[in-house]
Amino acid sequence: MKLSEQQIEQLYTFTRQHYVEWYDLQTELVDHLANAIEAEWKQNPKLTFEEALHLEFKKFGVFGFMDVVEKREAVLNKKYSRLVLSELKNFFSIPKIVLTFLAIGIVFYMLKSFQESFLILQILFVLTALACLIGLWSLSRNIKRNNKQSGKKWLFKDIIFGYGSFTGFINLPIQFSIHFEGINYSEWFLLVCSFLLIVFILLEYIVLVLIPSKAEEYLLATYPEYEIAS
Amino acid sequence: MKNSQLYKGSLNTIIMRLLEEKGRMYGYEITQKVKEITQGELNITEGALYPALHKLEAEGLLDVEVEKVDNRMRKYYKLTEKGTTETVNRLAELEEFIKNMQNIVNPKLSY
Repeated sequence: MKLSEQQIEQLYTFTRQHYVEWYDLQTELVDHLANAIEAEWKQNPKLTFEEALHLEFKKFGVFGFMDVVEKREAVLNKKYSRLVLSELKNFFSIPKIVLTFLAIGIVFYMLKSFQESFLILQILFVLTALACLIGLWSLSRNIKRNNKQSGKKWLFKDIIFGYGSFTGFINLPIQFSIHFEGINYSEWFLLVCSFLLIVFILLEYIVLVLIPSKAEEYLLATYPEYEIAS
Repeated sequence: MKNSQLYKGSLNTIIMRLLEEKGRMYGYEITQKVKEITQGELNITEGALYPALHKLEAEGLLDVEVEKVDNRMRKYYKLTEKGTTETVNRLAELEEFIKNMQNIVNPKLSY
């Protein structure tokens, strides 16, 4: 006996009730449970749908789907980090590296000449942090609206639009602005600062603009079902 | 899983070996196939199988395909080119391991 469409829907609801928020994982688990229930019915045709489901769910252990969800999150977070790093690497290879070094040079020159009027620099750093906050806020608004419209959540999409592990980087320019005091720093120190600031701005651009703009491409590559389902 | 500690380290190799043989498989099919081959001795738990599959996929060793089967979507896994090469390596490693274990458990004394 095969499961009806309504029973499949029930399975989706079941996974949601057991803390599987994301459609990609729900789909895989629903197929697994459905196969298992159908196999169970072959041996024991008298079981009701609920009884068979209960039996199969028990096999996942006391933590239910949690293990599967957690590990999947870890894997996709890692994938995202690798994506960000590989985009960052692009800025340090020909031809973009010319512009990157030019930017670092300009910041270095500014730091050197404006050391005393550090207020200007502090403002610059704060602005960078603010831009990051605004960008994160706008991304998270987009994804919420998007999820509401489609009624489906995709884990990798959520990571791209604001759950990324790079959000902690916002602290960097804030620390810069707090600790910059306008004392005569050595040129090496200023050079490192310039480098870090540019890397931060690049990361901000990659995380907030570049990757979200290519999101569909990444999602299609991650989820073959993305096109069918959305 | 029976004697889970002993089998745990080989789960990835088991999955890859099966995929090498069958081309493409879905999660439930893998658990059943392993049970069938080992006559019920080895029972891969769902909580271990899917994380392993997802990890192999992220490492670029597996590729996924999705198809609609019986009014639901089914996710198939298959080896990538990199995965096929890696399977050969891992199988060789596993065989070496089995050989060494045999020598330790059942030493042939030459003197």
